[in-house]
Amino acid sequence: MSVSVGLNCPSCGGAIQISEGDNVINCQYCDSLLWVEGDAGVITVAYKNLQDRDGVLRATEQWWRKGLKAMDLKKKGRLMECYPIYLPFWSTTTRVAGWVCGYEERHYTDKHGNTHTERIPKEEMVLRDYQYTNIACDPGDLGIKYLRNNAGEVSFIDFESIPTFESTTSKDEAVELSKQRAMSDARDDARVPHVTFEKITVIPKRLSMIYYPVWVVRYAYGERMYMATVDGVTGNVLSGRAPGDPLYQSLAVTGGTSIGGLIGAAGLAFGIGADDPTIAIGGLVIGAVILGFTYMFFRHGSEIIDGDFDDKKLGNPLKGFKIAGTKWRFN
Amino acid sequence: MKVLQIKCPHCQQPIYSKVRDLAFYCSHCKTMHIRDGGINVIDFDVAEFHTNSPPDRVYMPFWRLFSGFTINQSNVAGGMLNKLGRLLKDTANGGNIFIYIPAWETDVNEFKRWAMDLTEAQPVYSLRLDFNNVERAPTVVPKEEAMKMADFVIVTMEAEKPGTLQYLDYQLQVHDARLIYLPFIKGAGGVVPGF
Repeated sequence: MSVSVGLNCPSCGGAIQISEGDNVINCQYCDSLLWVEGDAGVITVAYKNLQDRDGVLRATEQWWRKGLKAMDLKKKGRLMECYPIYLPFWSTTTRVAGWVCGYEERHYTDKHGNTHTERIPKEEMVLRDYQYTNIACDPGDLGIKYLRNNAGEVSFIDFESIPTFESTTSKDEAVELSKQRAMSDARDDARVPHVTFEKITVIPKRLSMIYYPVWVVRYAYGERMYMATVDGVTGNVLSGRAPGDPLYQSLAVTGGTSIGGLIGAAGLAFGIGADDPTIAIGGLVIGAVILGFTYMFFRHGSEIIDGDFDDKKLGNPLKGFKIAGTKWRFN
Repeated sequence: MKVLQIKCPHCQQPIYSKVRDLAFYCSHCKTMHIRDGGINVIDFDVAEFHTNSPPDRVYMPFWRLFSGFTINQSNVAGGMLNKLGRLLKDTANGGNIFIYIPAWETDVNEFKRWAMDLTEAQPVYSLRLDFNNVERAPTVVPKEEAMKMADFVIVTMEAEKPGTLQYLDYQLQVHDARLIYLPFIKGAGGVVPGF
């Protein structure tokens, strides 16, 4: 990502374009090689806020209509406040180069019922760059821990007018966390079930601090307060809490308990009738799982949560932002 | 954030380049320095082109790592260790080798190819004192990163030959890292050695 940082070449005065995380650049006008020193050796960039209040409110209202939120939210939701902030994120690039060796076991059963185990040796190379972002301050109840977007215009022009959260974590912590995650992801990518030897080198390549604009929207529904955050660059909703709809909860309880009970009972009846305990146990397990999901939805469905909240129980948790670099494997 | 013009630590002349380069070469006094936590003047070698080399020439940077190596224990399923054994100069389970790490911007296949090729078949060349106005590919791999990649090269040499590596207990120590500019000829399919 090449960005303009509002700085000029000390030799010719030309505007400087830098890539995120680079500390050596060449001036495109006079060919001078330039050394960029950030605060404490960290390159810092800020994305320009491209959203306004009206656009943020429209995005929030569209988000209200999605999913299983209260159907009258658009009618009864009352906006309390809407304002932008800058949140700091660490952005890291970590290169992983190594080999993971070991074996995979495959089990076969012959016609006599004897089980044989085949051990298949494996050697997998992992060589790729892992990119991560991680919030550099306490996000409080905002439900944001990672960046979802890495494209945008970079400018410090809004820094004076938009409140900025200060970083509360060190660059050493960010680098160490990235190294651990990259090592873990590399092992997962190697897919060697039983490891007998591994040599993995983890090299931190780039580290930068990104200040990213986020709009915070707080609104009321009935007697309770809720919130949402909107990406200041893309205009997408990043996180939020919204009231669920009692009708959906009732339908879920009715349908879930009925279906779960029927499947469990049917499995039991067929299993006993066919003298096959596998069918009975399978039916009971499936019925219990459906009942479990039903309970979870009933218990937590009164509030719909999107984003990186620790207390999130429903929906698909948002994973950390990772750009999958090119991966090569040689067998 | 602060932007400084890079100057030669020896003669204080500004350093110019049309590309981003981590090895700062002063064409005025022929000093090269890197900035890895401080300003450090480094020794470097420039290899001579073969006399009959075509004109489309370019110097490619490599980190040449003089390394001590000892194999303590190994196990390969369906094969046997042989490449490392060929390279070791002293005893059967230890010795010294030069590991070549490409220092320019490469994709991983190119990186592997040149690292393996030059480490397995050590290049022979004569030296010259300057680049003789031949284009020089920029260095983008810092010395520390090259030294860390030495392990990867060693294990790759064993893992990619017949058989499946299951275990390798070894010790590798990099004694010295030196930036080497090797002559290459640019062609349609990439670069080919010009030494």
